[in-house]
Amino acid sequence: MRTTRKRILGPALVAATLASGHGVAAQELVWARYGDADSLDPHRATSTLSMQVWDQIYDTLLAFDMEGTPGPNMATSWEVSEDGLEYTFALADGILCHDGTPFDANDVKFTIDRAFGDNPSLTRTSWGPITGVEVLDPLSVKVTMSSKFGAFLPFLADSFSSMVCDTNTADTFGSSTAIGTGPFSLVEWVKGDQIVLAKNPEFTNLGDPVDNPGAPYIDTLIIRTVPEPQTRLAALRTGEVHIAEPPFDDVPAIQQSGDLDIIVAENTGQDVFWEFTVSRPPFDDIRARQAVAYGTDPQMAIDIIYSGLTNREWCPVARGVFGNDQEFCEQYGYPYDPDKAMELLAEMGYGPDNPLETTMFVWTGGNRHKLAEIFQAQLAQVGINAAIEIMDIGTMNARVKEQNESPDDPSPGTFDMMTWSWYDPDILYQLWHSPGAYSGFQNAELDAMLEETRTTIEPGARLEKVQAVIKYLMENAVHVGLYSPGWEWVFAVRPEVEGFKIGPFLHPIFTDVKIEG
Amino acid sequence: MARFIAQRLLAALVTIWIATIAVTLLIHLVPGDPVRIMYGSFQTTPEQLEEIRQRLGLDQPIWKQYLYYLGRLAQGDLGRSIVGDQPVADILLTRFPATLALTLTSLVIAVVVGMSLGFLAAYKRGTWVDAGAMVLAVIGVSMPHFWLGLLLLFLFALQLGWLPVAGGDWKSLILPALTLGLANAAVLARMTRSAMIDIFDQDFVRTARAKGLPRAVVLYRHALRSGLVPIVSMLGLQFAYLMGGAIVVENVFAWNGVGRLAIQAVFARDYPLIQGFILFFATVVALASVIVDVAYAFLDPRIRYS
Repeated sequence: MRTTRKRILGPALVAATLASGHGVAAQELVWARYGDADSLDPHRATSTLSMQVWDQIYDTLLAFDMEGTPGPNMATSWEVSEDGLEYTFALADGILCHDGTPFDANDVKFTIDRAFGDNPSLTRTSWGPITGVEVLDPLSVKVTMSSKFGAFLPFLADSFSSMVCDTNTADTFGSSTAIGTGPFSLVEWVKGDQIVLAKNPEFTNLGDPVDNPGAPYIDTLIIRTVPEPQTRLAALRTGEVHIAEPPFDDVPAIQQSGDLDIIVAENTGQDVFWEFTVSRPPFDDIRARQAVAYGTDPQMAIDIIYSGLTNREWCPVARGVFGNDQEFCEQYGYPYDPDKAMELLAEMGYGPDNPLETTMFVWTGGNRHKLAEIFQAQLAQVGINAAIEIMDIGTMNARVKEQNESPDDPSPGTFDMMTWSWYDPDILYQLWHSPGAYSGFQNAELDAMLEETRTTIEPGARLEKVQAVIKYLMENAVHVGLYSPGWEWVFAVRPEVEGFKIGPFLHPIFTDVKIEG
Repeated sequence: MARFIAQRLLAALVTIWIATIAVTLLIHLVPGDPVRIMYGSFQTTPEQLEEIRQRLGLDQPIWKQYLYYLGRLAQGDLGRSIVGDQPVADILLTRFPATLALTLTSLVIAVVVGMSLGFLAAYKRGTWVDAGAMVLAVIGVSMPHFWLGLLLLFLFALQLGWLPVAGGDWKSLILPALTLGLANAAVLARMTRSAMIDIFDQDFVRTARAKGLPRAVVLYRHALRSGLVPIVSMLGLQFAYLMGGAIVVENVFAWNGVGRLAIQAVFARDYPLIQGFILFFATVVALASVIVDVAYAFLDPRIRYS
């Protein structure tokens, strides 16, 4: 009896195996990253690693095109009242949440109310001064503001505004459950290890910059955490992983051998820049700040360290962000000019026997320590002795603020290679409007200019306001752009993977992806 | 025996108690304002920071903070993580089985490989076998874990394709366990060799040989058994080494245990999680050494009564 059963089962298994070899196999894509998401609740985290997962599970009312301009998505159209305080959105019909319930105005209200609720979103202030959300009918919703907010529409295209279905009422929301309307639904999150997502067969692409109008082609997307870069590369080579950030030093060899494709994200919004402790000497003097800017050559440094993988960025808001214009910014920028730097330092009383002493803060990773050494050597040539201190980004954020808040510290003021990524020039408001993210440079004139970038809504007029701020920040050498992109923007992709796209602001999109062969 | 166990447990408790003090002080040893550093990557207002400071009790004097901490500890509360806002105890307990599987497998590998190599080297003392085994041991002791790990990964996963690079199933346990096990086998090999050399020179071994017992019986029943005693006593320490090594090895092989969690916590400046990890680690190591001590005493009655 036993033998018979085996005989019957045998051919069946063979048949099943054969069938799976004929292109009907479930397609599973593995994407490995250096770290895990912090939370699947879009109101409980701010890291890029988290946002990249939210993008797959949730969708947004608006969507960015490849250039970073917001356009219709789940909201097919909107109207802004005369006074600029009321936004009425018309929602697309027929969108379904992953649990099968229809997505409508109640879900929008649920999301926004939640962001402003008892345990508000970590990015609540970025929503704008919202005072109320009103469901007009199932497919239209009205948002009211207490004052005009120019960054509102771009925010609605960013993952921070991911629309959370109103069925997400369980305590497990964000850790083991997450219901959205995005191209993939959550199957399982093994924290620290992997997030397993399944294709959402009901998905309709309403505004993402990809060709596929509907559900993803792949059946499963596994987002795995592999912290060690060499391990990621090995896993890419064995085929265990399809997409991952490679170790930087191996990129030229990978490009040469051609066994993996190298894809570089564009319009990431990541700006790496100089900024200074302005509360005490030497950088309370504009000439010292300008001397650093004139005395360093970012183009040469990035050519050496990143060999063509990143770009010189002249603007305080990076490529992809509204207001970014290389030509406009360059006219207020600081081209490499060691003589000019020395002249400014001489005016301040520094010279060959009396160099300017300072410390440069740099954050860890991405070969930035090498970049800092090049800048250090360039600065030494003009008479600036800059010690280098390397620390992780969170510590650097805190230390920079502490520096600014210690005007009586007897040691010379520091400067730092700082970075921010944001989808809108509103980042300049957050950094430089008093009290400012770092308690750094601030004054009433700049505050007034920054306020206007918020209260001006019409894009043409807003551009003027934003450019006025850019000009001010650059002329005063407050925020001096160096390069963009700045971190985790290079992807190595296995050759059988087709259609992998990285949307603006470093948001990979998987709906076009197919695995060949 | 009961009194012996009680004594050992008491010693372990003292160790853990010292760890609780270290853990409380830790947060104040880091330069800068801990609350600001923890929340450095978040958008926070000064009011929010003050609220967090109060919630974590960091606005209180240190001795109060310590009592507060002990009070919560007594209720099994290790606090909540900054990243993801989850109970620290839950996070640690979810991840610990993976680390335990890794360290125990490595221990088996270390014992089997290390002791065979050491025994062989002692037995063939002065020959090329001895020299070769000891050269291997020196290499093993000096090679950093992550480097040995990457070499094994390159050979077995990339070149030969026998094993996966990373993942969650039993097959992906082999490479990290081998890395950790081999590095510690080197230490054990050296210890076994010197212990066995002492034994081989003892009178009772010579007597056993002289009375005509077969060589295998002499080696196994007389020499190896006596040689084992000091080596077994070292296993507790070995386990502590393995737990420490797991931090690095788990990171290389993306093995999802508490070691990797610790590294993630350090990078995220998640102090409650780092504190929880240190305390947990100290507890596991202290308990492991109690178990080894008790087992040892059970095997060798002289220990109990001395």
